[in-house]
Amino acid sequence: MMHLLKKELSELLTKQMLISLIVSVAVMFTLGFAMRTAVNTEDLTGDTIRLIDVDRMDFTQKVVERLEEKGYEVIDGVTFEKGMENDGWKNAVEIPAGLTDALLIRHEPAELISHTSLTTVSIMTVSMGNNTGSDAVATAIREELTAELFGSDYDYLNSPVTVSPRTYANGKSADADPSMIVSSVAMYDMFMPLVLFLLVVLTSQTIIGAIAIEKTDKTLETLLSAPVPRSRIIGAKMLAALIVALIYAAVYGIGFVGFMLFTVSSGVDMNNMNVSGAFTSMASAYKAVQDLGLEITGIGWLGVIAQLLLTLGISLTASIILGGLVEDAKGAQTASMPILFCTMFPYILTMVSDIRSMELGTRMLLYAVPFTHTFIATSCMHFHDYATFWGGLAYQAVFLIVVTAFALKLYSSDLLFVNSRTHRLRAKRKAQE
Amino acid sequence: MPNALEVQGLTKSYGKKLACDHVSFTIGEGEIFGLMGMNGAGKTTILRMLATLLRPDEGDAIIAGHSIVKEPDKVRANICYLPDEAGAYRSMTGRNYLRFIAGLYFEDPKAQKECVLRGEEICGLGNALSFKINTYSRGMIRKLVLARTVMTKPRLAILDEPTSGLDVLNSLDIRKSIRRCADEYGTAFLLSSHHMQEVQTTADRGAIMKDGHFLAEGTPAELLERYQANTLEEVFERAVKGV
Repeated sequence: MMHLLKKELSELLTKQMLISLIVSVAVMFTLGFAMRTAVNTEDLTGDTIRLIDVDRMDFTQKVVERLEEKGYEVIDGVTFEKGMENDGWKNAVEIPAGLTDALLIRHEPAELISHTSLTTVSIMTVSMGNNTGSDAVATAIREELTAELFGSDYDYLNSPVTVSPRTYANGKSADADPSMIVSSVAMYDMFMPLVLFLLVVLTSQTIIGAIAIEKTDKTLETLLSAPVPRSRIIGAKMLAALIVALIYAAVYGIGFVGFMLFTVSSGVDMNNMNVSGAFTSMASAYKAVQDLGLEITGIGWLGVIAQLLLTLGISLTASIILGGLVEDAKGAQTASMPILFCTMFPYILTMVSDIRSMELGTRMLLYAVPFTHTFIATSCMHFHDYATFWGGLAYQAVFLIVVTAFALKLYSSDLLFVNSRTHRLRAKRKAQE
Repeated sequence: MPNALEVQGLTKSYGKKLACDHVSFTIGEGEIFGLMGMNGAGKTTILRMLATLLRPDEGDAIIAGHSIVKEPDKVRANICYLPDEAGAYRSMTGRNYLRFIAGLYFEDPKAQKECVLRGEEICGLGNALSFKINTYSRGMIRKLVLARTVMTKPRLAILDEPTSGLDVLNSLDIRKSIRRCADEYGTAFLLSSHHMQEVQTTADRGAIMKDGHFLAEGTPAELLERYQANTLEEVFERAVKGV
């Protein structure tokens, strides 16, 4: 077995693969770093406000002073157009003429103008720049207005009511913001499927391609006519591919951490992307997650890893079957499509909705795809849906046994060679007709 | 001479196409047997059945006393199969490829080492064995895979078109190696070929196949005499056309 495994690994672990892995990690780290740089360039840290005070009254001056007291750096400007032209402004808040009159004399609501210059349509540029500035100016105006109208004794009017969120899960409750908990938990529920999706797609293509080459080079015939049990040949192929898959998982994990470290260290609030917000608020959310029983225990993680390995086992065995049936390397490119689709649909559905709350028919259909169970594994663990989890694990184990038995039967049968021969004969007959 | 191979009524069909129809023949130890026939005559089907890659519909073959139907595992320990236009693992060096194959046949490291030394000597690739196979020419690859086929000293070596696509000199080298291994190790050879000259100069006996049947079988001299021909090519033409 070791002899075969060594050969399989030497075929799979090529220099090209190692280089591509190193490049992948480097790209992920670089992307994280680039995002930080981009973020810093955009001044999105929220402590700088470009303010155009057209009203120029005592009231608006006090608003500016209030902002500076709060630690904001207020950059004064004449017009946004000049700011764009001379200083490359991307955003600014304008206090229009007549704001003071409206608020203090006519007692009417007034408007602030939020300027944004679009040079790109990236999420970061559009969603994160100006909101913080206009919100801060609006708050400062409200506070100053309260002070002007009622005096400092009525500061409480600035926040007469506060909202205290309470979240319920697993029959427990915690005084915490549900969005904070959701984003904290969602990090696992997003990361695991992403890793699984990448692993299944990459490894299935790798192994189908490797077997197709073995068929083309006739090395598979040599191997199958050697005095080695077929189970060992398939076992070595699976184990080697699994080792490669785990190397991929580890490398992508490191790359992901690198990406997150750089982007998070920039202090960006990426709540809109549901990833980094979770990462940054993880520490404060940790207690709430524990209180709600949403934490995955050590045994729970072992179960999740077991599902991950079972899914990889199924995908690799299915790839070995598909690889055995393809004619050549060209056919290998399309042969992985069934696996790709079986992975893609549950992956996308778990991203956009909760499969467990779907109609029974749809749910059963999705549960029939073994990969679905791993995509929802962490979610099941978070919300103590052990029946679905362990049921899925058992189903995957049975599925793996069935596909392995089928693979063994295929590699012990004529099908491996008759398939290509009948195909050729059919093509020949067709050509003759 | 005891038989290395006894084929008894071997039959195989692919759907309605009968590829091999109740074929029977024997090969003695150290004997070289050549299968001649056009494309689709059933040569490769016979070779694959004997290599235990295909299961016969009817009949059996006994290799070194073991049935290909009932004891394929034991048969595999006594044969070596070289498919048509077979390659080798391109990322390996020639020497590592020989080591890998030796490891499939022998568990004892000493036996493995002896096997590899034998392979190195048979292929005659010298220093090139330290290079990766993806740098090899077609002739070098063929010498390497032939060496790995015979270095284990199998009772029966099954070679499908061993010299197809090779130039004259490389073909001659391969034929000499086959002859030498048959004489030195007592390995029986079953080889298929389109080259009548190859069978005439290399094989002790041969058979001409058409549509899954043996049309004629015997030593080159017997075949020439039977068909009143000067070359095996003429024998082949007369046998196939029924002249």
